Amino acid sequence: MTTQINNRDQEIVSRYTDQPGRLPADLRAEIEASWGNQPVQLYALADLDASMRLADHWVALGPDHVAVARPKASGGWDVYSFDRARIRQVRNAPGLSGSVLSFLGTADEPALAVLRYTHRQRRAMENIRFVLREQLEGRAVESDDSDVEYAESVAGPIKEAQALVAGNRMAVIWRLLGYLKPYRRRVYVGMSAAAMITLVSLVPPYLAGYLIDRVVRPVQDGTLTVGAGATVAWIAVTAMALVYLVRQASAMVRLRMMSVLGEFVARDLRRELYEHLQTLSLSFFSRKKTGSLITRVSSDTDRLWEFLAFGVVDVSLSAVMLIGLGTVLISLDWKLGLIMTIPVPVFCWMIFLHGDRISRLFLRAWRKWSRVTDVLSDTIPGMRVVKAFNQEDREKARFNDRNVDVTGEINRIHYTWTTFWPALMLAVHATTVAVWVFAVPRLLGSTLSAGVFVSFLLYTTMFIAPIEIIGQMARTMNRATSSAHRVFEVLDTEPEIVDAPDPVRLEPVHGRVTFDNVTFGYDGVRQVIRGMSFDVAPGDMIGLVGPSGGGKTTVVNLIARFYDVTGGVIRIDGIDIRLIDTGHYRRQIGMVLQDPYLFHGTVLENIRYGLPQAKLEEVVDAANAANAHDFICRLSHGYDTVVGERGQTLSGGERQRVSIARAILHDPRILILDEATSSVDTETERNIQEALDRLISGRTVFAIAHRLSTLRRASRLLVVKNGRIVELGTHSELLAKPDGVYRRLYDMQRELQVGA
Amino acid sequence: MKPTVYAPCVEYELAQPQLRLEHRIDGQLWAVKEDHERTVSVRRCFPWSEPARFVSLRDKDDKEVALIRQPESLDEASREVLERALVEAGFVLHIVQIYEVEEEVEIRTWKVETMQGPRTFQTRLDDWPRELPGGGLLIRDVAGDLYHIADRDALDDKSKRLLWAFAD
Repeated sequence: MTTQINNRDQEIVSRYTDQPGRLPADLRAEIEASWGNQPVQLYALADLDASMRLADHWVALGPDHVAVARPKASGGWDVYSFDRARIRQVRNAPGLSGSVLSFLGTADEPALAVLRYTHRQRRAMENIRFVLREQLEGRAVESDDSDVEYAESVAGPIKEAQALVAGNRMAVIWRLLGYLKPYRRRVYVGMSAAAMITLVSLVPPYLAGYLIDRVVRPVQDGTLTVGAGATVAWIAVTAMALVYLVRQASAMVRLRMMSVLGEFVARDLRRELYEHLQTLSLSFFSRKKTGSLITRVSSDTDRLWEFLAFGVVDVSLSAVMLIGLGTVLISLDWKLGLIMTIPVPVFCWMIFLHGDRISRLFLRAWRKWSRVTDVLSDTIPGMRVVKAFNQEDREKARFNDRNVDVTGEINRIHYTWTTFWPALMLAVHATTVAVWVFAVPRLLGSTLSAGVFVSFLLYTTMFIAPIEIIGQMARTMNRATSSAHRVFEVLDTEPEIVDAPDPVRLEPVHGRVTFDNVTFGYDGVRQVIRGMSFDVAPGDMIGLVGPSGGGKTTVVNLIARFYDVTGGVIRIDGIDIRLIDTGHYRRQIGMVLQDPYLFHGTVLENIRYGLPQAKLEEVVDAANAANAHDFICRLSHGYDTVVGERGQTLSGGERQRVSIARAILHDPRILILDEATSSVDTETERNIQEALDRLISGRTVFAIAHRLSTLRRASRLLVVKNGRIVELGTHSELLAKPDGVYRRLYDMQRELQVGA
Repeated sequence: MKPTVYAPCVEYELAQPQLRLEHRIDGQLWAVKEDHERTVSVRRCFPWSEPARFVSLRDKDDKEVALIRQPESLDEASREVLERALVEAGFVLHIVQIYEVEEEVEIRTWKVETMQGPRTFQTRLDDWPRELPGGGLLIRDVAGDLYHIADRDALDDKSKRLLWAFAD
C-alpha cells in the first residue's frame, strides 16, 4: 500500500515538476558510505543556490549525521557531512517565495549549513527542521521511509489541488464505459436503434433520385406508362413514409434507452460515491472542500449522464455517418463525391480550432466573471461594513466596472461564434456550389443523371450535423473525463480506518480506555501525540486541559477511532481498538461538540438520529434530561419543528441542548465533550451544565474545556501540552503545584474573572 | 520625517539612527543597537506597492522588533547588508518566457523559463494571476511559490498569446 502511494507520488513529482522523484541513488550510496553505511532517514531538495538560482542541492539526515550535497560541474557530487550533535540551533527565515534554513553550531563558528529553497520544498524541509528541533530538545524522531516522506511532501500540494493526478484519459473513458456492463441489453438496443437511424437516413435521398431517374423522366420521355410509373412512385412514396416511421421509432427507442441507461449509470455512480464517502476517514474530508464533494455527487454525475446517454453514441455514429456518406457519394459519382468529401476533414479541423479559440475566450470570460462574483461575495455578507463606512457608491462603481468588463468579454464570444458558424456554412455551401459548377456541364451533356444529382444534393445537407459533432468531440471528451476523474478520485481513495478480518464486538462496552505509549501524527514525521500513556476506569470523568494546539482534540479523535495511532496502542476494555468492530464500537460513543451539528429535519428526527426507533416517551425523557423539553414545546410545531440547515433556526444553546438530548437517547458508554459550553452565555451554560451532569453519570467521560470551572466534577485532569501529558491529577492536586501548567491556567482565568 | 517606529517589543527596542545591521560569520543577520544585539530576519511590509520602504525586522518568533521606514537612513554598511537580506526574503521567480499552459482536471500546468532557470508549476483552475499595483503580474502556484511577470510587453509573441486569457 505504502509502496503504491509512494510510486504514485513519485510519478506525480516526475510528471508535474521538474525535480527528481527521489534522492539520486548514486548520491545516497555516496552519503551512506561516508556515514559508515548508516542509512539516510530523511532528505529534501534545496532547490536554490546561494545566488538564488534554481539548483539541485540536497540535504540528507542520518541517525548521527547531516549531509549537504551539490552537483559538481564535472559530474558526481560534492558532499559535505557533519555530526548532528554539532547543531546548536536550527533557524528558518521564510520569505515571499523562498526560505532559508540554517543549521548553526557554536556562536563563533560559521553556520554548519545554509539551505535555500522555494515553497515547493517547504514540507520536506519542515520535516527535517522538526526532526532536528526534536533532537535539540532531547527527543528522537524516526522517519518511516525517506522516499515516501520526500515524494509525499512535494506531491502533496498538487494532490490537494487536483482530483486525480497522473490519470490516463483513455483509461478513464474505458473505466467509465465499464459502468455500462450491467445494462448491456439496453446498450445493444440503443446502439442498434442509433445505427438504424443512420442507415435509414441514407434511404430518402436515394429514393428521391430513384424516382426522378426511374419514374419521372421515363414517364416524361414516354418510355414508361403513367400507370406503371404511378405504381412505382406510390411504392417509393410508401417506402419513404415507412423509412421515416422506422427512423422516428428508432429515434424514440434510442433516446429512451440511452437517456434512461445514462440515468441508471449516474444513479449507480452517485450511490457508489456516497457509500464510499461514508467509509472514508475524517482526514479525507479535512483535505477536500465540502462544495467540491457535493459537486462530484451532483453535477459531475449529471455530466457523465449526458456523455453516456448521448456523447458516446453521437460521436461514434457521427463517424459512421461521415464514412457512410462519403462512401455513398463516391459510389454515386466518384468525381463529385471527392469534391464533397475532401473538404470534410478541413471543416472538422476548423471546428476544432474554433473550439480552441472559444475556450480561450471562455477562460477570459470566466476570469472576469469571478471578478464580478468576488464583489458580490465580498459585499453582500459585509453589507453592514459597507453601510457603516458609507461606501455604497464606491461598491456600486466597482461592481459596474466589472459588470461592463464581463459583458464586453462575453459579447466577444458572441461575435466570434456568430462569425464562425455562418462562415463555416458558407464554406459548406461553397462546396455545394463547386459540386454544381462541376455537375451542370455534365447534366447538360447528359453524362450525369438528374436523379443522381438530386440524391447527391440531399446527401450533402446531411454532412453538417456529424461534422459539428466530430469537431466538438475533444470538448465533449474533456468535459466527461474531467468529471470522471473527480468521481474516480473519491472512489479510489482507500479508507484509512479498516476493520480487522474478524473484528471483536464488545458486548457490552464497559468503558475502560487505556493509552499505552501512544504516538500519532497526521503525517509520517511530525508527531502530534508523543508517547502518551494513561488508564481510565469505566465511569471515570477525565478533564483534558492545556493550551490550544496541544493535542487534546486529537486524543478524543483517537478514542473515537477517527484515526489510527502511528505508535503504541489504545485499548478499550483491554482489547486493541484496531481489533474491535468499528461500527459497533462507535455506536457506544457519544459526542457533544462545541458547534453541535443538527441536520435538516425536525427536532424529533435530530434527537432520534442515533436511534431512529426510539419511543416518543424516551425522546421526551431525553429532552427533559437535556433541559431541552421546555424550549422545544415553546416552538410553534414542538418536536415537529423543522430546523434549518445546520440547525440555524435555533440558538446556539438550544442546538447544544438538542445535541445533548441526542447523546442521552443514544446512551453511549463513552462520552466525549469537546468544549460543549464554551460558546454560550452564563445562564445557558448553567442549563447545559445541568444537562451534562445528568448525561455523564455512569459513563466514561472525556471532557475538553478551556473554562476550567466546568471540569469540577472530573475525577482526574490530564494537562496536555505539545502532545504529552505534562500533569495528571485531581483539581486540588494540580493546584498544589505552584509552578504547574494547570495552576498557571487556573490563576489566569481567575484574574480574568476578577478583572471582569 | 520619522525614520523608525518603536516596535511593541518588551525586551528592548531597536531604533535608528543607532541601529546597525551586520551579517556575521554564523550566516545570520544581526541587528545591533548600542550594547543590545539579536538575530533578525527581514520582511517587506509592502513588497509590491512600496518595496523600497518599510522593512520589518523580526525575531526568531517572527515578532517585529523594529520597523525601518527608510533604509536610506541606515549607514551604508547596514544598508548593503539589508539589501542582501532583502534579496533572499523578497525572492520570487521571474518569468521571462512561457512555453506551455496546459489545462487538466482542476489544475493548470505552466512550463516557463524564469530568470532563475526553467520551471514547471501548477495553479488551480480558478486561481487567476494577480495584477500588481506597480504593474506586472503575479502568479501563485499550488505550493505557494510566486512567479512575477514584470513586463508583459517584453515577452515574446507565443508567451503573450498564452498569457492573453489570463490578463487584460
